[in-house]
Amino acid sequence: MIKLRNLDLRLPSGFALAIDSLDIKEGEVFAIIGPNGAGKTTLLNVLALLRETNPGALEIGGANALAAANRTGLRRSMSYLFSRPYLVNDTVYNNVLLPLKFRGERDAGRVAEMLEIFRITHLRDRGTGQLSQGERHRVSLARAFVTRPKLVLLDEPFSSLDARVKETIISDLGRITRAAKTTVVLVTQDQEEALALADTLAVIKDGCLLQRGEPQELFSRPASKDVADFVGVETILRGEIAAKSDNLCSVRVGGSTLEVISGCEAGDKVLVCVRPEAVTVSKAAEANSMRNHFRGKIVSIEPWRLEYRLSIDCGFSLIVGVTKRSLDEMGLKPGDEVFASFKATAAHLIRR
Amino acid sequence: MASGDAEVSAIVQLSLCVSTFATVVSVLIGVPLGGLLAIKRFPLKKVVISVVNTGMGLPPVVVGLIAMLFLSRNGPLGFLGWLYTPAGMVLAQVIIATPVITGLSLSAMQSLDRKFYLQMLTLGAGQWQALWVCLKEVKLSILAAIIAGFGSIISEVGAVMIVGGNIRHQTRVLTTAVVMETHMGNFDMAIALGLILLSLTFLINIALTFIQQQKAQTE
Repeated sequence: MIKLRNLDLRLPSGFALAIDSLDIKEGEVFAIIGPNGAGKTTLLNVLALLRETNPGALEIGGANALAAANRTGLRRSMSYLFSRPYLVNDTVYNNVLLPLKFRGERDAGRVAEMLEIFRITHLRDRGTGQLSQGERHRVSLARAFVTRPKLVLLDEPFSSLDARVKETIISDLGRITRAAKTTVVLVTQDQEEALALADTLAVIKDGCLLQRGEPQELFSRPASKDVADFVGVETILRGEIAAKSDNLCSVRVGGSTLEVISGCEAGDKVLVCVRPEAVTVSKAAEANSMRNHFRGKIVSIEPWRLEYRLSIDCGFSLIVGVTKRSLDEMGLKPGDEVFASFKATAAHLIRR
Repeated sequence: MASGDAEVSAIVQLSLCVSTFATVVSVLIGVPLGGLLAIKRFPLKKVVISVVNTGMGLPPVVVGLIAMLFLSRNGPLGFLGWLYTPAGMVLAQVIIATPVITGLSLSAMQSLDRKFYLQMLTLGAGQWQALWVCLKEVKLSILAAIIAGFGSIISEVGAVMIVGGNIRHQTRVLTTAVVMETHMGNFDMAIALGLILLSLTFLINIALTFIQQQKAQTE
């Protein structure tokens, strides 16, 4: 659906976006995550043909998107949702009708269908000034999909919504994009949003594409420290592979040895990545199949979303995610001695 | 005018015709120009905006003088034969009102987030369709620009006096008639004409303001 080559865009601010190659398949939900100022929105603007990209090559649906003659036609095959819904000061119905009017069409049936899909039929004659934020987003989505676009670009479209509204809108969006086989490029900072929608995930930082792949692959096998940092790997340890047997590596980290399944070789200097949810914690030593067991002391307990993060000193610092219920049941508090365990497959090594 | 004086009626009609026509032309030029200046990015944009803003304060007498030089027999526009005609007066008033309407339209459009324009483009609008939707979004401010543009020319005397020449039954308008009657010592007539001008300006502005406020209430 999209082929981008040799993008080298330099903005007057000095920011540079350089992407050698980016391919997005038809019908794919492609999420781009990265910190603020990474270049996510700039990339989306390039794909939406709102920015000149010379030199470079961009093909959308097989057409040269950089040719001025193709621009309006290609724009009409896509929809772009900004983080804020820019609705015109009119009724909901007329807002959803607007993209059709731009194309010289007036298909009332299609508008009614979109109002129904996004559950805003009852708001049909209401002015946009009287809508809640969630309703405005729904109108914006209905307007984006009314033309049955082949490509939808979403720039952090749900960032201003509360969790419950966001959940239902994401669910509706997922349903319609799967049904219509629409290609979606989603820019977000919200990893959960990316996981809920994306078939493919890419991490971008400082104008460079760091890694792309299936979401689970990216979250469990980050290719660099920057990616690991961004996808929520909170324990990143510097170590060296002391020995390797089959694929089981013994990694020296300070005075401790960790066992990790990896393709790295003995002698490699590595970063050991462990996700907080991959570690279990108990008050007494437990016999289980996990290869890594460490005794340590809880240094701190911090709330994190609906869970808690435990920082455990095991000779190295290990961050563990626990639920409020587990925390209460075990009666954990800072200074307690605990046992932390994780599987050899739960850790990931990055050569450094 | 109330006593049915045909000459006064003709003066009032000509005043209204010249200023209304000049306002319409200025709106057709100034509103899209202001909109384009707001949304387009191009080199020397700030310089062009400064020129427009300077134009908002053009002295009508100077405009009249330049228009007269251009329209005079040996001037570059002399072939039009517009000197001392209502057409010449319209031209002079267009030069005065256009920067006012352009500048205020530009300011109105700049109050709108540029992403709104980009959003319209990404919904499939052509450039002019997107501009039209944006202008509709700021229509109250555009109406204010039109009111200001009309106000700047209906009461203007210097330019129409020089370009029109205040010729009886041909180019005499309310403002030039007031000046002439004052110079002739006919203060009663000058005051009467002045009151008519004031009433007309008031009525037109009240009508436009009424429309503007009615739109504001419905939004």
